[in-house]
Amino acid sequence: MSMNIVSIFLQTLVGGIGIGSLYALVALGYSMIYRSMGLVNFAHGQIYMIGTYFGIIWYQGMVMGLQVPYPVAFAIGILLNAAFGLVLERIFRPLANLDLMLMLLGTIGLGYVLDNVAVITWGATGFAVQSPLPNTPIIIGGVALLPQMLLLIGVAAILMIGLNVFLARAKMGKAMRAAAQDRETASAMGIPVNGTNAMVFAIGCGLAAAAGILAAPIVYVNPSMGAAVGLKGFAAFILGGAGSIPGAIVGGLVFGVLEAISAGFISSAYVKGIAFVVMILVLMIKPAGIVGEVTIDKV
Amino acid sequence: MKNQSSIIKWIVLGVGAIVVLAFPLVAPNRYVVHIVNMCGIWVLMSMGLNLCMGYCGQINLGLGAFWAMGAYAAALLNTRFGMPIWVNMPLGMVLAGVVAALIALPMLKVKSHYLALVTIGLAETINIILVNETWLTEGPLGISGIQMPNLFGIAFDGDERYFYLVLICVVLGYLVARQILSHRIGRSFIAIRDDDAAARAMGVNVPKFQIMSNAIAGVYCGVAGVLYAHMTTYISPDIFEFKNALFVLTATLIGGMGSLVGSLVGGYGMPLVQEWLRAFRNWQLVGFGIAIMLVVLFMPGGVVGLGQKIEQAGGIRWPWARKQTEEKPKGGPNVS
Repeated sequence: MSMNIVSIFLQTLVGGIGIGSLYALVALGYSMIYRSMGLVNFAHGQIYMIGTYFGIIWYQGMVMGLQVPYPVAFAIGILLNAAFGLVLERIFRPLANLDLMLMLLGTIGLGYVLDNVAVITWGATGFAVQSPLPNTPIIIGGVALLPQMLLLIGVAAILMIGLNVFLARAKMGKAMRAAAQDRETASAMGIPVNGTNAMVFAIGCGLAAAAGILAAPIVYVNPSMGAAVGLKGFAAFILGGAGSIPGAIVGGLVFGVLEAISAGFISSAYVKGIAFVVMILVLMIKPAGIVGEVTIDKV
Repeated sequence: MKNQSSIIKWIVLGVGAIVVLAFPLVAPNRYVVHIVNMCGIWVLMSMGLNLCMGYCGQINLGLGAFWAMGAYAAALLNTRFGMPIWVNMPLGMVLAGVVAALIALPMLKVKSHYLALVTIGLAETINIILVNETWLTEGPLGISGIQMPNLFGIAFDGDERYFYLVLICVVLGYLVARQILSHRIGRSFIAIRDDDAAARAMGVNVPKFQIMSNAIAGVYCGVAGVLYAHMTTYISPDIFEFKNALFVLTATLIGGMGSLVGSLVGGYGMPLVQEWLRAFRNWQLVGFGIAIMLVVLFMPGGVVGLGQKIEQAGGIRWPWARKQTEEKPKGGPNVS
């Protein structure tokens, strides 16, 4: 009996980590864009939704009846959304210098546009996506794990480690950190700050697309999928500490696990509420988030 | 000159009043009146938001919860105990105001985007309670069968008659808001918005006024909620979700944040323009999104801000504009 509770708990935990990885990838987008441009991008949920479509339409054979394998669709989706990010950065750039209320409204306005362009292009009703992996759960020590969930966790982990290595080692990554820390000095040192920001935006959008395409077989794909995940990714971004890269990862995982545990053990009806209440409590105790805010220096 | 301009002002006011009062009689159909009534409800919420966000600088994205408090108070009191609107109105206002003041307590600890998130989170939590506590709220099915009001023997039982009730509330709401702003409370709000540290140094009890600004926003939304419940006779939790709070925020910013007239312009203007463009379906919403971005980038003061800019540029003198008493300091920063 006690074994049973342990395995249920472990299963809930893995589910939470899976959804948490999704939130973390979305939160990373918020965080990277915030620390480099000082922009709180409320359209990021919609960018996640568009990214999901950019990949899944190839996998579902929605483009000229051409059906491509899942890994290829995954890569295409990330690249297309990253390219889209380069365009978006240009639109968002003037918003980054406004005060928060206007920034909020401007990005929400863009979210409206993306939402409705998606409805016009792909229809308002969504579709379920078949997982490329078998649907039968793998059972390890009495814990049933969905292969797609494990894929989501694994790939997300690789992407997060890759991002950290890139920021720490690569020249471009170092330039990004420098530009985030001090725009003016970085600019004086010959770093093309606007170009770096565009790359940051592209990476944020690419990560969001990766999250969406990985989660697509678990969730239902439709144009309104962005709002809920956008809000939770934003919560994870705040929870971990705005602008912090490890913060976004920790915040996403904590939020996902919190949600799964409260759904499994406390009340499935109040799952959203409990997660928000805990988040508010965390902010009361540590107003700068779990890991701490990275202060940004706006010019 | 002074007499002439004040005569023009009274003529404009008089003609305006006649046009407004005659509106339900000349409106093309009942649906238009219904939309205008709904606009009145948006305006009340927008004025509440303006007082706390535009004047006191307290970001609040949780208006939907206060609105819901008023609406649910009215709906429950009416369907369970048969209470009329004039009983429900003060009770709804008090409930929404108290809830708003309580919500303001955790808000005092955080600022800017954290505050935005906390208010969204609190409002979402209240919405989840409305969905789940079925014994009280009937859950997602909502409460139906709320009666339209009957005041002093006059039945406000159609959109045309209800129009006058909403109108009275909007006018009273506007006058009260103006009174608050010219009072010490309003000046404290503005001082806190402009620089809370300086306000504190000048002896303004900052937390007290921040809580007060939220409570006032709550009361305004409470009025809007009671009016809404008695107007539509049916309410459900999805009406009070985040998207409608966002709609009020958008209307306020487009009208002019930090200006009561902005609330009137945005609250009446935006829904009407939206109705007018309804035929374009999703393209309408795309256009709406683009319009929001253009407003944010090119006229951040909203419609009212744009009007002021034109006036300052010497283009037009509005007949109702206040007489300029002060010369703009020479060499000072130009508002542009």
